[in-house]
Amino acid sequence: MNPTEELVDLLDLERLDGDLFRGKQPESARARVYGGQVAAQALMAGIRTVPADFAVHSLHSYFLLGGDYSVPIVYDVERIRDGRSFMTRRVVARQHGRPIYYQTLNFQLPEEGYEHQDAMPEVGAPETGFDLVDVMRKGGNDEADALGKEWGALDVRWLGNTRFGLDPDDGHVSQARMWIRLREGLPDDPAVHVAAFTYASDVSLLGSTLSVHDVNPSKTQMASLDHTLWFHRPFRADQWWLYDQWSPSAQGARGLAFGQIYTADGTLVVTAAQEGLIRPRRPGSEGPGVKE
Amino acid sequence: MPRDADELLALLELEKIDDDLFRGAQMPTSRPMVFGGQVAAQSLVAASRTVAPEYVAHSLHSYFLQPGDPTTPTIYDVENLRDGRSFVTRRVIAQQHGRPIYAQTVNFHKVEPGYEHEESMPDVPGPDHESVRPVSREVQEELHADQWNVADIRFVSSSAGHTDADPRHPGRQQVWLRVSSALPDDQFWHRAAFTYLSDMTLVGAAMAPHGISFARGDAFVASLDHAVWFHRPFRADEWWLYDQVSPSASSGRALTLARVFSQDGQLVASVAQEAVLRPRKEGGR
Repeated sequence: MNPTEELVDLLDLERLDGDLFRGKQPESARARVYGGQVAAQALMAGIRTVPADFAVHSLHSYFLLGGDYSVPIVYDVERIRDGRSFMTRRVVARQHGRPIYYQTLNFQLPEEGYEHQDAMPEVGAPETGFDLVDVMRKGGNDEADALGKEWGALDVRWLGNTRFGLDPDDGHVSQARMWIRLREGLPDDPAVHVAAFTYASDVSLLGSTLSVHDVNPSKTQMASLDHTLWFHRPFRADQWWLYDQWSPSAQGARGLAFGQIYTADGTLVVTAAQEGLIRPRRPGSEGPGVKE
Repeated sequence: MPRDADELLALLELEKIDDDLFRGAQMPTSRPMVFGGQVAAQSLVAASRTVAPEYVAHSLHSYFLQPGDPTTPTIYDVENLRDGRSFVTRRVIAQQHGRPIYAQTVNFHKVEPGYEHEESMPDVPGPDHESVRPVSREVQEELHADQWNVADIRFVSSSAGHTDADPRHPGRQQVWLRVSSALPDDQFWHRAAFTYLSDMTLVGAAMAPHGISFARGDAFVASLDHAVWFHRPFRADEWWLYDQVSPSASSGRALTLARVFSQDGQLVASVAQEAVLRPRKEGGR
């Protein structure tokens, strides 16, 4: 299997019982399960408990504990609401009998209505960007090689950030931009595109909170605290999409980031939000780990 | 509905029924359903009362599930999701008539130092500038929206009618807001009161590009979710700028993102809300 097929396989959960699922684990050199994997697998568990004509339009989630690659993650879906237009599911991801992640998902029967969207900023083509893992490696990120292997399915072209190559824009003090796509084609199933996107959406968002700060990421303890996505319009995750990220605020060892996702033709397809722990590591201290 | 800070505080003072179980009162209202900000703020209070005071609420994420019934109290059932060293997480289910009407997750953080940055406040006229419009009591009464009474609201600008057009952001609105009388100094009450007020006016940014108005009842509106990130301490009873952008509307839904600035220019909170926004003629939910 190529890395894209491996990702599709990772997102294909085993149904243990009605609303209870089990996710596979990838081979990984990292200590804790990548947050985007947990978010995407939880989303897939939720999707499998609603009728196919309902489309996921938002998810809100909190990361509670670091995930352990050595055992599978169990996803327990609770049916919160079955309405005529909207359905709500809550997914608890757990390992070793403890919740590691909570996600609430809302689904809607698609309808017609008012239409508007923010305009895509003017940016360079994907070919003008730099491979994100190379950028991380050159920036002194100890985890770059392990992440490059983990994210083998993703083609990420970094366009720049506030300190390197990006002009200040729209009043944003801390920004980063990149193009992302899956390296190989995905099946046409819309759920696979939404889930593959969700996997990719956690790749770099928190990084934009440090774009304005001259710090080595390896000297900073970083962990996603929450993760939120609003899906505006359907799109293909295996064709280029722009991840336009900005951080309005950092304070008290936390940073908040927003992201807007545009397809290459300028359609706004997703808005993302993430708050994360960005804690300066004391010299000589490894800190208490990635997630509590 | 509360008319001033004292009545708001009374509404947010929950009755403790048992450990992790609270009851929130209602106040007389002309609205057919409970104001969403009330449920959000009462939930935040319920969650906070199960957490040690050194942990400060820094974010909440929530979904509205059913309209609240203003004739019956709301029960808040708090679940402990995590008691960590630095972070504490609670989930609150608000219920009436045996059914969940609202689900909120709240994260708390023990205060610590770290990196600092913030976006700057846009250059806008202050709340007392002649160009800034107060919302009159008459308009409020016409709206039958008596939840507005606890708030002073002054409209600064919006992208409606292209008077303040920005091609990057077709849906924009700026509003000054504050609680209409003084709150106690405890930051806890400022976060709770802010959460109450934060459910006001947001859909205006999403309506602006479409020539429709909340006041005229042009569209069916219902909040779907509500998220708040608290960045810095501030007073909810002093003017704050609610700087709103609606990045998208599609499929009968609209998202609004908002920055909250204290009048001295500090970015004190961020808010996100998605709402149902449907042409009225097609009927309700």
